Amino acid sequence: MALKALDIYKLLPKKNCKECGDPTCLTFAMKLAGGKADVELCPYLSDEAKSVLGASTRPPIRLIRVGMGERFFKVGEETVLYRHEKTFYHPPGIVFRVSDTQAPAEIAAVTRRVRDETFTRVGTDLRFSGIAIENTSGSAKTFAKAVATVEQEQAHLPPVLIAKDPAAHAAALVHCGSYRPLLHAATGENFKEMCALAKKYGCPLVIRAATPDGLARMVKDCTAEGVQDLVLDPAPENLGAFLTRSTQIRQLAITRLVPELGYPVYLDATATGQQDAAVALGIVKYASVIVTDPLSPGATKASLTLRQNIYTDPQKPIQMNPGLYRVGTPDKDAPVLMTVNFSLTFFTLQGYLESTRIPCFMLIVDTEGLSVLTAVAAGKLSEMLVRDSIKKFGVEDEVTHRKLIIPGYASPLSGRIEDATGWKVLVGPRDAAEIGEFLHEEWKK
Amino acid sequence: MAFDMNFGWTSTIGEVVLGATNADGGTRRRSYRIGGGTTLPFMEDRAGSPSPLIALEICDYLPFWPPIVTNYCGDLVNNVGEWAKAADGTYGADLIRLYLTSTRQRNFSDIASLGKVVEDVLAASSLPLIIEGSNEPKIDSEVFQKCGEVAQGERLLLGTAEAGKYRSIAAAALAYNHSIIAQSPIDINLAKQLNILLKEIGVQRDHIVIDPYTGALGYGFEYSYSAMERIRFSALKGDTDLAMPMVCSAIDSLTIKEVREAEPAVQDEMAIQWEFYTGIAAATAGAEIICVRHPGTIPLLRKAFTDMKKPGTAAEVR
Ligand code: B12
Ligand code: SF4
Repeated sequence: MALKALDIYKLLPKKNCKECGDPTCLTFAMKLAGGKADVELCPYLSDEAKSVLGASTRPPIRLIRVGMGERFFKVGEETVLYRHEKTFYHPPGIVFRVSDTQAPAEIAAVTRRVRDETFTRVGTDLRFSGIAIENTSGSAKTFAKAVATVEQEQAHLPPVLIAKDPAAHAAALVHCGSYRPLLHAATGENFKEMCALAKKYGCPLVIRAATPDGLARMVKDCTAEGVQDLVLDPAPENLGAFLTRSTQIRQLAITRLVPELGYPVYLDATATGQQDAAVALGIVKYASVIVTDPLSPGATKASLTLRQNIYTDPQKPIQMNPGLYRVGTPDKDAPVLMTVNFSLTFFTLQGYLESTRIPCFMLIVDTEGLSVLTAVAAGKLSEMLVRDSIKKFGVEDEVTHRKLIIPGYASPLSGRIEDATGWKVLVGPRDAAEIGEFLHEEWKK
Repeated sequence: MAFDMNFGWTSTIGEVVLGATNADGGTRRRSYRIGGGTTLPFMEDRAGSPSPLIALEICDYLPFWPPIVTNYCGDLVNNVGEWAKAADGTYGADLIRLYLTSTRQRNFSDIASLGKVVEDVLAASSLPLIIEGSNEPKIDSEVFQKCGEVAQGERLLLGTAEAGKYRSIAAAALAYNHSIIAQSPIDINLAKQLNILLKEIGVQRDHIVIDPYTGALGYGFEYSYSAMERIRFSALKGDTDLAMPMVCSAIDSLTIKEVREAEPAVQDEMAIQWEFYTGIAAATAGAEIICVRHPGTIPLLRKAFTDMKKPGTAAEVR
């Protein structure tokens, strides 16, 4: 059962030496209590304390890191079954698959795509996470060559090596062993050799078995071999099997009923015959590494957006700091447009303003991250807030006119804002897409 | 050693019947019994538990409809009967959701024409029907009355009741034995309150479908996703005021920036994938009816839903 922070603190060395990464033993104890740290981080714990603390403070799902360099990703360390209970922390790595039977030019093209493609939403660059190379040829040499082709692109992407034969992995690891690739997969037959490779190169290892108890048994076998960084592939033959098995694994891990299942889950989206559905399902239902063939333009944006949505903290909308922002280099006559500090709203409006090429100011008021309509409905957007924001951010020093453009959806407030601020209020369009037309017609007047 | 999942649920989602066949006094070729869930979506052990239904949304007045759909469907959208027929035959929907968008024109008053529209759609397709009436308080009583009457016996699903406007729709549903969509803005407590209001004026539980309101993917979908999960779990834990099936309609999907501004060559694909990813996630969160506007989304969702069922329970009951 979970221990309280103070009980844990009693077992710590109390040196406050900061080597665990925390300023004091007490803060480390608090993190342990919350399942947010690993006992192994403190080098001075007695074996006895370790054994007491180990089982009850370890995060229920182990944190696993794949890849090196800027693009590495971490998965695991989740604490809930449903995002509304707290939040989901580590978005799944979505990894594009190439086969070693493909032409080198094709392999290189997919690698470059994952390296270069970004889709910017709400001020965040969304990207695919890595590249998986599959040993379809059956030849270790061909596999190693394909991995070398990927590495030649200098993309520094987290690699996933997919091969049944440990000899193929051994050949490929010569090329990418120092980049912490994820190895797929250890099975009943080959786990000893796979564990030896994972240990030699210090890489995380996927284990594959079709039932949770099969996985739990293999976890015991692999940890006995000394490999701790594991990822579980429940080998689903269809979407339903994935949904059931991954939910089962997550529940048994979170509740610590079967601690051996406390590892991130791997999903081969291509194996279900319905790749897009599998990617969507993997994102919402607990996959941490999703391997897929390169996605279409539509699926690319939809999947990256779904991942961003599901992994947003439900308690905190993504917010901007309130303040006065500039688009271009506005002068003293430039328009001032007021809006809320919900990031989505800010970036949507900013995008359209940039394309009008009219320099202007954006006055961002603090609605605690609520959108315009939501803030109006919740009473979070008021004339006082607008008045205080004009003062606080010194808008009257920046422009000589006294005209404020407000969002169309805030029109019910226009009269009150005029009264409270003494500024003339112009009610803009509801849809920010029409802002260019509005500025050309109304502002120029 | 086999591990069992245990969520501690104690209750069942109520059932709602959509559409009436000859035997039940209607003219539909099939009717659906939705709801009945006892655990997480797609994890029922009972054989024959239903897959989520897929509804195609159509309308009777095009200026308020995403051009991407009208371009894709071509001429047939000029005739709502033809559109309904295609929804049923060519596109393979389970349900048709008809939006009476003509009522959203300024000073609309031609209520009689709506009766004709509903009759045309009923004649053109024998699928069960969802009808979305007007948003205008001045006429909504007459509009719902008209729809309810023209489709008497058909067990429509009428939309949309909200906390501020539910009386006229409830009156039409009660008078002609139709069911109601009850919509609240992404909030479990508001959903419950509205259901209680409906109960108080006599609408039975088995005549209500909850619409928790769906923000488009990238535009608030995560809130809706969690609201759906919470409503579903409260119901399974025994809250009977929330134990109704849910409908998900991400109506803004085809007008968001990513879809609207997509390259022409990939615009249909963008629209379809946007609806598809939303539909998969919403069904996983508990929605029993998934509404789409792009016909191309239907076959993809159908295939996925069949495959998502627990192996061995995939039989369809219709
Ligand atoms: C997601 C969402 C929520 C989330 C909050 C998300 C957030 N961070 O704001 C949650 C679930 C918390 C929520 C709560 C509520 N919500 Co809400 N919510 C939505 C939803 C689905 C999407 C909002 C959104 O993200 N829009 C996208 C952003 C970008 O839009 P935007 O900020 O308005 O910006 C656009 C325009 O305004 C314009 N624009 C923006 N700034 C400017 C500036 C200028 C100068 C100009 C010209 C234009 C412009 O450009 C943008 C793009 O066009 C909407 C439905 C909808 N389709 O809008 C309902 C909606 C806004 N919510 C609604 C309601 C009623 C509520 C609640 C009051 C319900 C409740 N629980 O009590 C609460 C209030 C919050 C509270 N008490 O804490 C209603 C509002 C009804 C009304 N017409 O007033 C809506 C419309 C849903 C509905 N149909 O019932 N909501
Ligand atoms: S490393 Fe150990 S002893 Fe040092 S501060 Fe952290 S918990 Fe305390």
